[in-house]
Amino acid sequence: MFTKLIINFAFYLQTSKNYQSRKHFFTNLLQNNKYKYKKYLDIFMVLLIFTSVAVLIREVKHPIHDYMFYFNSYVISIVFFIEYLLRFWIHSSISKIIVDRAEHDSFLARPTNLLKAFKKIMQVKLSYVFSVTAIIDILAVMPFFHELRLLRLFILFRVFKLFRYANSFQTLASVLASKKFEFFTLAIFASVVIFVSSVLIYVMEANNPASPVNTMFEALYWSIVTISTVGYGDVVPITHEGRIVALVVIISGIAVLAFTTSLVVSAFTEKIDEIKEIKTVEDITKLKNFYLICGYESIAQDVAKKLKNHGNSIIVLDADEERIKLAKQDGLTALQYDPGELQSYKKLHLNMQKQIKAVLCLREDDVANVYTALTVRSLSQEIHILSLLMENSNRKKLEYAGINSLVYPQELVGLITKELVGQPVAFEVIHELRSEKANVNVTEILITERILESFATVKTLGNKDFRVVLLGVYKKKSEHFYFNAIESTLLETGDFLLVIGYKVFIKEFEQHLHTKVQNG
Amino acid sequence: MAKTSALVFGFNNYSVEIIKNVQNEYGNVKIYSLNEADKENEEYSIEYFDLSDNWQAMEESINIENSVAFCVLEETAENIFLVISLRATYENLSIIAVASHKEDANKLLMAGANKVIPLVETTADIITNMLENPISNDVLHTILYEESDLKIAQIKIGKESHFKDEELSNIDWSHYNGIIVLSVMHKDMKSEFIYSSKAKRHIIEEDDVLVVVGFEQDIQDFEKKIGSNRYVSWNNWSW
Repeated sequence: MFTKLIINFAFYLQTSKNYQSRKHFFTNLLQNNKYKYKKYLDIFMVLLIFTSVAVLIREVKHPIHDYMFYFNSYVISIVFFIEYLLRFWIHSSISKIIVDRAEHDSFLARPTNLLKAFKKIMQVKLSYVFSVTAIIDILAVMPFFHELRLLRLFILFRVFKLFRYANSFQTLASVLASKKFEFFTLAIFASVVIFVSSVLIYVMEANNPASPVNTMFEALYWSIVTISTVGYGDVVPITHEGRIVALVVIISGIAVLAFTTSLVVSAFTEKIDEIKEIKTVEDITKLKNFYLICGYESIAQDVAKKLKNHGNSIIVLDADEERIKLAKQDGLTALQYDPGELQSYKKLHLNMQKQIKAVLCLREDDVANVYTALTVRSLSQEIHILSLLMENSNRKKLEYAGINSLVYPQELVGLITKELVGQPVAFEVIHELRSEKANVNVTEILITERILESFATVKTLGNKDFRVVLLGVYKKKSEHFYFNAIESTLLETGDFLLVIGYKVFIKEFEQHLHTKVQNG
Repeated sequence: MAKTSALVFGFNNYSVEIIKNVQNEYGNVKIYSLNEADKENEEYSIEYFDLSDNWQAMEESINIENSVAFCVLEETAENIFLVISLRATYENLSIIAVASHKEDANKLLMAGANKVIPLVETTADIITNMLENPISNDVLHTILYEESDLKIAQIKIGKESHFKDEELSNIDWSHYNGIIVLSVMHKDMKSEFIYSSKAKRHIIEEDDVLVVVGFEQDIQDFEKKIGSNRYVSWNNWSW
């Protein structure tokens, strides 16, 4: 009966959307660095920690207000304790362990052994309780029992909690952890030198009444101060034998210091690319509305430059190290990931539809572009893919791969030459309009509701007063461009005006469209 | 004087596209390749040439000075050498060359090409416009390259045109329904946007060229009304 009740409750929790979504929320809030609200919690906790330490320092020599004292002892401790409980809760799922056990036993056609499930639960939860971070967390709650003066010093453990909230600390720890073995060897070496030299200096100096080394503690203190190359000079050997020991310790100290420095430096050198990559991936995860350029060859380089000049965010993926280096030199966010591999996108944790404006397959190689397009299409059916086409015979293959727009440079050359030989002046005019460097250009102006309030028809726009040519109106509803639209043409929200003119005049015209609305 | 022949140097994807697009414009399209094996091509009649500056055989079959040369050799250095050889021999030959980058384009211009198409920059421009200004890109693409009614035309002011000697800003263009005048190119080969301050005070002279956009019929009506005709002259090349 009791067993059945527990199993039913565990199943209920496992299937309850409400319970699971809450747990998911707290998991994100406390553990998921990519969750947008986590940073606010982190900042809040860091502030609590610093407040706590500031109060501790203040109360050493000055009396503090009662409310500050209670805030420090109770409020902060309770917040930390709640956090500890939440972490304990989300660390593992009790209901899942019970459900798994029940399903396992029912599969084997035997009664559910809850004892085994509880054993597993104990094991999992205790593994959390005895983890270093959890111990620091619980010690940080201790100042709650402020009557025990010693426990108030546990406020300092709150500082260790900073490790949780600052990613750079975690990075530092992970970098140093990569040289665990080397640091361990160094620690053994330093310990042996410290121990031997402490004993030796004690033996050589302790019986000399003029020597400042009288106890084993003083000998140990001298050894550590000397081996670390700090050398305060408050405790110095005075016997010849003691000074010989000092020489050995000083030389060992130089070795220890040099070894430590080189270890830290080499650890960072080895990990620096990895750290940068992690940081880049984190930044990309938070980015919205960017163009993903796959392949960074000459056309891609120029496209990236132009899109960047338009104020767009750009991410470059390329498997080639040299090209990625070039992209980084060009000031772009670039990752040496193969754009044709599914894994590359998984690592980036991208929500393709929401985050990416368009994927540009700009390798000058149709095979690579087809491969990339298929990979991207397998992740999102809706995303816009533009690709270069290098051989016209491959056109169908690229279209079949789900590419929305194809750009075939050879065809462009053909069309351009045709226009060049037919209407060179007209071609130049249009070319100038398209060129970014020209003063005169063609711009699309979106008709918003605000603009529409004052400008209902083409006649009311007054573009001629601003020396702007209205080439036509693109009607959103009919998806048709009305060249030289007649004055009575009604404008609607979502329509575009296509205007030609000097950039300055177009800007003024756009301002006029908005200003009039503001003036009512 | 209209050019009668097109000479395409180099046989590759680019030249095939060029041939496709210009063969209706020219009665005579000649293809030359540095690769002798291309002579075997069944679809196109290709002749072999080398960079030895011996143009005699070519001169026998066509009037080179009255031709347009398209230099699309794959090797940039060879392409530049070809352009410089052609320019050194034929002063009046119109040369259009394809370059991969802007720096190569500058070299080709220095070598004497009249017009260079920088491939990378042009393709990048098209891609950027497709993404950033899809509507204007579509419209301009239609006007320029596609067989639609909406066209861009350059109209030369003739002797009899009633626009002659009129100030550009005094003309009420709204009388010419369906036509948008974009720019005017003066005799000195400099083109000005219709609303530029220079263009505003400009007095229309004979031989000025107006660049207009409109539907084919409207352009024809406009031509009739102003007494001028559509016009292409290689002398008008401003590059």
